[in-house]
Amino acid sequence: MTDTPVFRPSRRSLLATGLAVLAAPAVLTMSSRMAAAQSLADIKSKGKLVVGIQGDNPPWGFLNSQGVQEGYDADIAKLLGKELGLPVEFVPTAVANRIPALVTGRVDVLFATMGMYPDRAKAIQFSKPYAANDIVLVAPKSTVIKTNADMKNFIIGVARSSAQDTAVTKAAPEGTTIRRFDDDAATIQAMLSGQVQAVGANQFYPLRLNKAQPDTYERKLDFVRQYNGAGTRLGQKEWNATINAFIDKIKANGELAKVYQTWMGFAPPEFPETLEGIPFTVG
Amino acid sequence: MGNSFGFGEFTFLMHGLSWTVLLAAIAFVGGGIGGLGVALARTSTSLVARRITAGYIAVFQGTPLLMQLFVVYYGLGLLGLNLPAWLAVAIGFTLHASAFLGEIWRGAIEALPKGQTEAAKALGMHYLPRMRDVILPQAFRIALPATVGFLVQLIKGTSLAAIVGFIELARAGQIVSNQTFAPLLVFGVVGLVYFALCWPLSLYGSRIENRMARATAR
Amino acid sequence: MDYTLDFSVVADALPELLQGCLATIGLALAGMTLALVIGIGGVVMRGSNRRWLRLPVIVFVEVIRNTPFLVQIFFLFFALPNIGLTLNPTVTAIIALGLNGGAYAIEIIRGGVQSIDKGQIEAGLALGLHKSQVFRMIVLKPALRAIYPSLTGQFIMLTLTSSICSAIAAYELTSVAQRIESDSFRSFEVYFTITLMYLGISWLMMTGFSVFSRRYFHYPTR
Repeated sequence: MTDTPVFRPSRRSLLATGLAVLAAPAVLTMSSRMAAAQSLADIKSKGKLVVGIQGDNPPWGFLNSQGVQEGYDADIAKLLGKELGLPVEFVPTAVANRIPALVTGRVDVLFATMGMYPDRAKAIQFSKPYAANDIVLVAPKSTVIKTNADMKNFIIGVARSSAQDTAVTKAAPEGTTIRRFDDDAATIQAMLSGQVQAVGANQFYPLRLNKAQPDTYERKLDFVRQYNGAGTRLGQKEWNATINAFIDKIKANGELAKVYQTWMGFAPPEFPETLEGIPFTVG
Repeated sequence: MGNSFGFGEFTFLMHGLSWTVLLAAIAFVGGGIGGLGVALARTSTSLVARRITAGYIAVFQGTPLLMQLFVVYYGLGLLGLNLPAWLAVAIGFTLHASAFLGEIWRGAIEALPKGQTEAAKALGMHYLPRMRDVILPQAFRIALPATVGFLVQLIKGTSLAAIVGFIELARAGQIVSNQTFAPLLVFGVVGLVYFALCWPLSLYGSRIENRMARATAR
Repeated sequence: MDYTLDFSVVADALPELLQGCLATIGLALAGMTLALVIGIGGVVMRGSNRRWLRLPVIVFVEVIRNTPFLVQIFFLFFALPNIGLTLNPTVTAIIALGLNGGAYAIEIIRGGVQSIDKGQIEAGLALGLHKSQVFRMIVLKPALRAIYPSLTGQFIMLTLTSSICSAIAAYELTSVAQRIESDSFRSFEVYFTITLMYLGISWLMMTGFSVFSRRYFHYPTR
């Protein structure tokens, strides 16, 4: 029994501590208010650009077997680093914790396959769109799903708080079983092992799934074409403007199209000038 | 990205393993220092110090490690501390380890006969030399099996860093499993690697425990 | 960085969170029951003089105690379907918790059984107590009394471990919290609150265990 640090604090101390801990948020609020707003100068003086990115979602953002960050998002972020003259440090984030990572100041900017949605725009500041992604439902060919209502008969897997989660949750009828996993890796794993019968997916899931079990999976429902934007914290006016100027620049000089072709295998679509409920600039 | 579990994939797992070992080492050393402070405060004559550290231990032993990591990880950011992810995670593990090691060592200090302290006092030894030369060396010997046992728990616990997106052994396994589509093999290998890391420690822990049990039985 | 804490999201989601607490307690109780069954069965097998009964128990205990729970639950959930065994998240979670807790329970119970003094049994029989009385009063009760603190401590650890079951999308407090977090992006507030809830659950369980212990394990003083 040596390896079990057995749990035995007194109940009274547990209760007293619970009460004491309840008072902590008040203290925290004060100190987080005191922390200075971060500007472009702060980032430059820090000497590096810290980018939140996905580590398991090829071809967007993933680690290769040498543990090096690659993918579309990584290349765009590196271009931004070059523009600013700063080395880029990648912080792999799970789908579910990328917004928290930004909001709590863990990273300077998110290039994390972030679909631009109004509810997210309340939590973070989006840039202009720099990629497009179709959100679909994918299932084995033999599975009969023709309309949104058919989803009710199946167990649907999604990566928690991903664009697929939002789309499936909205489209699925009341009472559909939706299982939410921590990230794309776990979701795909759940589909392959038969723990779910269909998955909310982006346009590359079918490719990855069929690589594992050839000729098995197909798109069943198309939910939405989403646009991905870079994310910064709310109110960072100068930083947001810098990123928008950068995105305009790589769109104009063809660098974005080049990276797009490399990873997606096709040319970028027309990007919209505005999206309902999602400001691209700090108002 | 190969499709089968080959050398590259294994290297990737080993890269994850080095993070697992590093995280556990930092937490163990940090927790050792913190735990010593906690144990001394828990056994001190100051009522305030005893109460505070008792509460600290109660919180960390009464809540899931996963929650401790989440709260520390996000909380540090809110305090305006922009630490690299690995450091934030390491701080979470250190706070966790300080509580558990503190409690283990408190038990060991209190297990020593009161006469030891009284004799040292009678010899005119002050607190610092008394603790350093008389009490702590004996307490550490008593606490060794439990300490080694906790180190094993800590190594296993570092797998939870995977859930905040940190790529250590468990998460590396998930990524490789996804690239190779061989979960049975990959999780089997990952489990084996953890086992190879933890089992010798566990064996060592139970061996010294048995030896101590025999010594006291005589 | 200007971030103001806002607990209103948490307040709005309180009913869901409390339901999550119940789910966690349910998961934990089911896991404990299974752990107890595995623990007792394991001790019986471990005490056998047949090697092929003893060895699997030894291997089981060592493997479980030297690998992380996260890897164990991933293995059960993602790898077992490969060999045709597909279980839903809740069942997987209960089995994983039961296996994990069971391995520790085996060691704890074994220690308790070994602590019983043979002389006491003989003394009891010599005093004219019936065999069943001897078993109840001299074997079972003291052994249970001896292992009770470790076993209940282990069970509380099991309850806390159940938070990891969120990784396979099982329904319990942590996964409810993550759902709310992903809607509101108030991660610190949400996790801070459910940390307190776990503290409350631990406290509740400890109270329950100690009330039970006082009723059942008190020494007769008359």
